[in-house]
Amino acid sequence: MLYPEIVIAGCGNPLFADDGFGPAVVEELQKLSLPDNIGVVDAGLGGPHFIFTLLNPEETKRLIIIDIADFGAEPGSIAKFRIEDLPPGSYRDAHSWDLTEPLERIKDQIDITVIGCQPKRVTDPDMEIGISDEVSQAIPKTVRIVLDMIGVDYGTTRQCLQEERQRGTPETCGSTENR
Amino acid sequence: MSKVVEISPTTRHEGHSKLVLKVNDQGIIETGNWCSITPVRGVEKLAIGKTPEQVPKIASRVCGICPIAHNLAATEAMEASIKCEIPKDALMLRHILQLANRCHSIALHDILILPDLYLPGTETKINPFTAEEPVRTVAKRIQRLREIGQTIGQIAGGEAIHPSNTRVGGMYRNCSELAKIKMYDLAKEGLALAKPQMDLMIAILRNYQAREHVDVGGMKVALPKTLGYHNQGYLATHAFYGSSSLDECPSWDINRFKEVRPWDWYMGEMEVSLEEPKYPIGGTTKLGTKVNPQMEACTGIPMYDGQPVEVGPRARLAVYKGYDEKGTVGQNIAREMEYTDCFYEMIDCIDALNPNGKVVADYIPDGDGSLGWASNEAPRGTDVHITRVKDWKVQYFSMLVPTTWNFATCSAALTGAPWQLAEVIMRGYDPCVSCATHMIVIDEENRIVAQKLIE
Repeated sequence: MLYPEIVIAGCGNPLFADDGFGPAVVEELQKLSLPDNIGVVDAGLGGPHFIFTLLNPEETKRLIIIDIADFGAEPGSIAKFRIEDLPPGSYRDAHSWDLTEPLERIKDQIDITVIGCQPKRVTDPDMEIGISDEVSQAIPKTVRIVLDMIGVDYGTTRQCLQEERQRGTPETCGSTENR
Repeated sequence: MSKVVEISPTTRHEGHSKLVLKVNDQGIIETGNWCSITPVRGVEKLAIGKTPEQVPKIASRVCGICPIAHNLAATEAMEASIKCEIPKDALMLRHILQLANRCHSIALHDILILPDLYLPGTETKINPFTAEEPVRTVAKRIQRLREIGQTIGQIAGGEAIHPSNTRVGGMYRNCSELAKIKMYDLAKEGLALAKPQMDLMIAILRNYQAREHVDVGGMKVALPKTLGYHNQGYLATHAFYGSSSLDECPSWDINRFKEVRPWDWYMGEMEVSLEEPKYPIGGTTKLGTKVNPQMEACTGIPMYDGQPVEVGPRARLAVYKGYDEKGTVGQNIAREMEYTDCFYEMIDCIDALNPNGKVVADYIPDGDGSLGWASNEAPRGTDVHITRVKDWKVQYFSMLVPTTWNFATCSAALTGAPWQLAEVIMRGYDPCVSCATHMIVIDEENRIVAQKLIE
């Protein structure tokens, strides 16, 4: 099945420095052995027109998007967002069907979470490869958050997260860690 | 007296672009400028010093919708420069991957143009997202075609969006016998769906073409029989796939290509003097707004034999199959005609694929700095990548992406149309704008100079 029950999509462009966060997290997740009902996709810039507009709610029940997001925190901080939290245009289909958010169309049938990392440097429109140290450090933590969300525990996932949460606020999943 | 109207941003395509239109008192376009307003720059510079394995991965990230075409064109440009011939089964896997991507793209384009068109026999424009029949069944078929395209692409290319299986010298892995059977079954299912989908779309397009008037945002607009006509030439390098050899493909010769600056081609500063709040979606640009396509355009203008040319499905059909229907409807019909051709070709490639055959060349040279190019017939047209590789390092890299070719050609095709239909003409090109920015300019002395218009 192309897009199974749980879809994890890493969005962003590695050619614009920290915008490569989503694909970098996906690269790490793809190294793990995950259950068959989970699909991990390097969406790049193609999330809206390859994935979000093709998900079938009869098959896919949950979508986890990993991306950068500017929420005014320290670089490398991570936060979870619901679709309602996102400003208009966040995931407007690049093919912009009718200026309606493609995620709006499926949000009532598919449980959608966006895990956003505060970037340090996004170089758009100039190309530059390389994720900042702060954002790199957020990659393993994001992997743990995703594993926790999908109920996969390699023995350390939940314990690490619990410790991180004790140090940070629940809303930012431990945003103080990188301060 | 001429008036100026601007549609910005244009919708239902990838990336950001705008239309600046000088129109007469009847609202007919005298001069139309369609230009990219998405600056993307630096890929050529970024590629220098990287390995030939890295650059195709970089190239595939330049665009959200054509990563497969860019990946293949860049990989094959590297192979052309280092003079590496890949095994036949690797080539078959690439063909399958590319055709699968095109099937997905045609299906996607159907959704994008349907809202401009009418249900035959009614005055109802088509909303592809409605739950009502008969559109719901059609939409489900389109989605299944997209799913088939992506799944076959995933099998052949490793991943559905950014192919991980391609490499310089061939492919990392062949597929299993079981995977071959699965691709075959999917391709046969796709063919069975593509045929009625093509027939339906052609019927809907013919219905549109036969209308005297169409509705645009509540405005009754006369539909010209020459909608989207132009007299530019066509460029295509293969009926389906692409080429990296002048002997194999005499229609693409780098020496016949030049690129001029946008300010040599587009209109200069003007002020918007016509505003239409009813135009979907959200009205046109406000009266009095300053516009300057010369300075705002983010692309150069590629020329072949000194003229802009059209690339894409109609160009392929015109060059290789004698197709001769002009205009926007003819262009969209050509795209639909590629549906079944694509699946037939894909089935042939799957038949020819030997899952036990080798997929990596025995010898992969390091390169001696020779110029190599490869064209890949992306869904929306000829995608040409040019490179020099020496000692396994990229010395030069350039991408000439499909929509860059089409900007000037489409601009010419706008002339004579009612301004309200400019986007309909533009969508006929199935534009992909974000990667269509290319600032390498070959000047009059054929020296390659980097021109960055927007600093």
